[in-house]
Amino acid sequence: MATATASRLAVLAPRPLAPSAGRRRHAPAPGGAPSRPRALSAAPRGRVLCLAAPASAAASTTDAGQDRLQKVPISNIRNFCIIAHIDHGKSTLADKLLELTGTVQKREMKEQFLDNMDLERERGITIKLQAARMRYVVNKEPYCLNLIDTPGHVDFSYEVSRSLAACEGALLVVDASQGVEAQTLANVYLALENNLEIIPVLNKIDLPGAEPDRVAQEIEEIIGLDCSDAIRCSAKEGIGITEILDALVTKIPPPKDTSKDPLRALIFDSYYDPYRGVIAYFRVIDGSIKKGDKICFMANGKEYVADEIGVLSPNQMQVDELYAGEVGYLSASIRSVADARVGDTITHYSKKAAAALPGYSEATPMVFCGLFPIDADQFEELREALEKLQLNDAALKFEPESSSAMGFGFRCGFLGLLHMEIVQERLEREYNLNLIITAPSVVYRVNCADGETVECSNPSLLPEPGKRRSIEEPYVKIEMLTPKDYIGPIMELAQDRRGEFKEMIFITESRAKIIYELPLAEMVGDFFDQLKSRSKGYASMEYSLVGYRESQLVKLDIQINAEPVEALSTIVHRDKAYSVGRALTQKLKELIPRQMFKVPIQACIGTKVIASEALSAIRKDVLSKCYGGDITRKKKLLKKQAEGKKRMKAIGRVDVPQEAFMAVLKLEKEVL
Amino acid sequence: MLRLAFPLVSHLPARKPPPIRPRPPPARRYAASATATVSSSTSSPPSPPSLPPLSPSSAYVHLPFCRKRCHYCDFPIVALGSSSGTAPSRGEVADDPRIVDYVRLLLREVAATRPVSDDGVPLETVFFGGGTPSLVPPRLVAAVLDALRGRFGLSACPEVSIEMDPGTFDAAKLRELVGVGVNRVSLGVQAFQEDLLRSCGRAHGVEEVHEAVGIVTACEGLQNWSMDLISSLPNQTEEMWEESLRCTVDARPTHVSVYDLQIEQGTKFGQIKIQLLPPVTGHIHLFCAPQIHVLVQFGYTPGVFPLPSDTESANFYKIASKRLSEAGYNHYEISSYSKPGYECKHNLTYWQNRPFYAFGLGSASYINGVRYSRPRRMKEYAEWVQKLEDGTWSHESRSSDMKDMAMDVVMLSLRTAWGLDLQRFSKSFGKSLALSLCNTFKPFVESGLIIAMDMERQALPHLDFELDLQNEGDLGSKVAFIRLSDPDGFLLSNELISLAFGVISP
Repeated sequence: MATATASRLAVLAPRPLAPSAGRRRHAPAPGGAPSRPRALSAAPRGRVLCLAAPASAAASTTDAGQDRLQKVPISNIRNFCIIAHIDHGKSTLADKLLELTGTVQKREMKEQFLDNMDLERERGITIKLQAARMRYVVNKEPYCLNLIDTPGHVDFSYEVSRSLAACEGALLVVDASQGVEAQTLANVYLALENNLEIIPVLNKIDLPGAEPDRVAQEIEEIIGLDCSDAIRCSAKEGIGITEILDALVTKIPPPKDTSKDPLRALIFDSYYDPYRGVIAYFRVIDGSIKKGDKICFMANGKEYVADEIGVLSPNQMQVDELYAGEVGYLSASIRSVADARVGDTITHYSKKAAAALPGYSEATPMVFCGLFPIDADQFEELREALEKLQLNDAALKFEPESSSAMGFGFRCGFLGLLHMEIVQERLEREYNLNLIITAPSVVYRVNCADGETVECSNPSLLPEPGKRRSIEEPYVKIEMLTPKDYIGPIMELAQDRRGEFKEMIFITESRAKIIYELPLAEMVGDFFDQLKSRSKGYASMEYSLVGYRESQLVKLDIQINAEPVEALSTIVHRDKAYSVGRALTQKLKELIPRQMFKVPIQACIGTKVIASEALSAIRKDVLSKCYGGDITRKKKLLKKQAEGKKRMKAIGRVDVPQEAFMAVLKLEKEVL
Repeated sequence: MLRLAFPLVSHLPARKPPPIRPRPPPARRYAASATATVSSSTSSPPSPPSLPPLSPSSAYVHLPFCRKRCHYCDFPIVALGSSSGTAPSRGEVADDPRIVDYVRLLLREVAATRPVSDDGVPLETVFFGGGTPSLVPPRLVAAVLDALRGRFGLSACPEVSIEMDPGTFDAAKLRELVGVGVNRVSLGVQAFQEDLLRSCGRAHGVEEVHEAVGIVTACEGLQNWSMDLISSLPNQTEEMWEESLRCTVDARPTHVSVYDLQIEQGTKFGQIKIQLLPPVTGHIHLFCAPQIHVLVQFGYTPGVFPLPSDTESANFYKIASKRLSEAGYNHYEISSYSKPGYECKHNLTYWQNRPFYAFGLGSASYINGVRYSRPRRMKEYAEWVQKLEDGTWSHESRSSDMKDMAMDVVMLSLRTAWGLDLQRFSKSFGKSLALSLCNTFKPFVESGLIIAMDMERQALPHLDFELDLQNEGDLGSKVAFIRLSDPDGFLLSNELISLAFGVISP
């Protein structure tokens, strides 16, 4: 493949362009169309098609690449991933590994500290590279090291678990000046569940504030890993890199040799390329796969021909065959990533494996919101954009929804909040759509009087109070790690959000782990932002779903001039209904222009009004001047006024500007 | 000397024009409809024809000169400065060359304007507006009137109005004006409080107001005059407003105009004025951005101190309506009150959507269904007159769009107490449009902002109105007119009319 140097640079310097998880830099798409929609789930970074590159550099890469393509015995293959918290030096370390193994020449390296604050960084997504095949020679014995990257955010824990399932070992990288963070913990536990050999690495030992001994002790205490052999390194300074490579070879077990078995390859990532269709990244678990093989995806039974197979080093290089234990990619004119979903098993059409690999699951959206185009004409564009995103993001779900206040739009389901924000941002930035986003909601379970259980994520579709016996809502267990100074504010936050205190452990003298259980609905707002701001950015968190629980939930309706406004309905806890109702009615009063009559604005539970405001009538709106018979100006003003009315949404007889809805929906996000 | 310098002016009248008799109290020219009016308090002129008749019988003449610009004013005016007109100009005093020049232009425009038809429909009304027309020497006013008479003809007893400001005329000047044919004065008093007059930049004080009222009321042969007031001035209180209305009623004008202060951008009162000043040298270098000076002024915001609040200012409007009605004036248009029979015929031309000529700087005419506003700058206006004379300018003969015509009819007729004639409207613009209009207004008929009336101009209860609407085929079987109520409907006229606009042009 003629991918060249420049592409590598981009690969190795995954600077986020947009706050989407897709950080690849790619060749500009023809026609300026939105660049390749990119799955944020389990996204390998830096698979790059790049145009210009110096020929000489390309030549040398090709040489090194050919070297890397050489097969080694399966006992010399090591598949591993890197687990690290953002900022703890994962990308720098990965760069150094690539550099030292000659996979990427030093002069191709580029300063790649991600010093831009962007969404991912704010959100604590671990920096992610891609799969990379390296050749490392120890005692004249060549080894093939496959680095498989993992997404770092809890929204994508399923994808993380599939990446881990493709490895036999993991490097646990911890900043020697910081210590263990919540997300690191979550991923280490996942790795342990997958029986991975974990090699602790203490990074940044060159920093004046580094306390490798303390951090090593912290790892031992918290995770229970033996840290006596923990490698002390500074990826930045190149200290300890060889030790890491040696440890990979000596400590991580080789894959089992099952190349004679029927093919089973685990997809750990896939993305959509507009020219080639879906590119699936996989690890061959059993058997082997050849270019031109007729293959079958076991989850959906669909068949394809593997037009192209290859390895990633880190750019795509074609090979003819891949055996058990190897990591590679394939392209087979697959039209949507949903057909080659992470976790699925690839087998041969003619010689099917008896059973698929374990662990596959369908994406289940946890958080929902309505997306409406501000300009009704953009409805079709929004549909097309969502379809394009879905090609690359099997977890994104959407269905049309209409609202009297906001017209036609879509109700969309997401894995979590980050996923939701990324999709929204991409729709707005890459597809130039202006959207109104309703307050995120979760999936409630309504136990009906007739014994039926209904799942409901849209407040306006909630069964009538008379028809429901109880409402259950999803709860999460949330683990927060924080310096002890912020324990108070953080507990206050969790308490405010209906949190149920579970446990607090001082993991070291100065750091505590606080565990709460709280409703997911309380987390979908600005919980993470609040956590960060109350801890001055020091606290980290991780959450996992613990199931459904019955709650005292009510549907809060907003009525403007006695007309219910569906789009503004929310499901809230009874105890919060009053304050939320008050905030919403006050905001609406502020935002709705005065009308020719008095307009009551009310928040109600059922028929009971719990908060009420009144918009007083306009006193006067008259143009009295005569302008010497020049009525054109007067007419222009009146026409403008008429136009202004058209831009508003009529709720009964009341004209409500679009901005009022947007502001209230934003407020809902804040107060809920 | 002056005559040499301005040869055209030499044709200005040395001779006195044929005397125009002071206008007698106008007889009801529309007796038929007036007698049909049941309630005398709602007596109004006839409903406007929906489509303009061919030939205008009104002319507006703009005389833009003022001593200085008032703080609220955004009309095209020429400020002469304090040197001119501080004393009422007499015949002997040399006329300001700027005025003479301008009148010459005006006369050229009149001469170059072709009457719409040759059937000799004479002018029924002439209105000298400004500016401050009373700053113009009566001889020159007479010259314009002469020219109009020569070009279009004047009816036997036309209404000839002139706007006059206190402090710009004396008894002799007014007599002279009346002598040349003026028979209606619109006196720009605005307020009866020294502080208010000063703060809005008027060039006169209260003393001049009383003096002017004295001159006007004492003037023999002048029986029709209007007192013009402005409400909602900065720092105006309810007491002040009551006082102004009392003084107005005491002066016993036949007509009162009450204008609510509009804050216009670009005026001293205007909200924000941003002016880009070009670089001094006038050279813009390619690679060097010119220095741009920006001038920003902050002015008044409606409803915010020192302007009266919306509630106060709505109250002023209601007080005016009450006090003037009590004193026997009909509130026949949003901002106009008159003793019965003394409506301003010229302004009715506007409200009735009838055509009119206009002459002078920035003035707007309505001829052959086309509204045209002349340039607001003197130089451009002069160039335009030249083109008119050369025949290189003509009204674009674009046919007026029906929607726009319907909007004109609605916005103009709803300003009047007479209201919108639904049958006429249906005939011109279709029954379905009339129906949707009524449907839109239904809630406001119920709330009393709009009054529906039958053929006899009796108000209909809203249930009758709704019932009538349900019999779609028979719209107008009962409902014949709709009007805005006084004062509540008038006060919300913009809202209500813009609603109607939304119906006409969805």
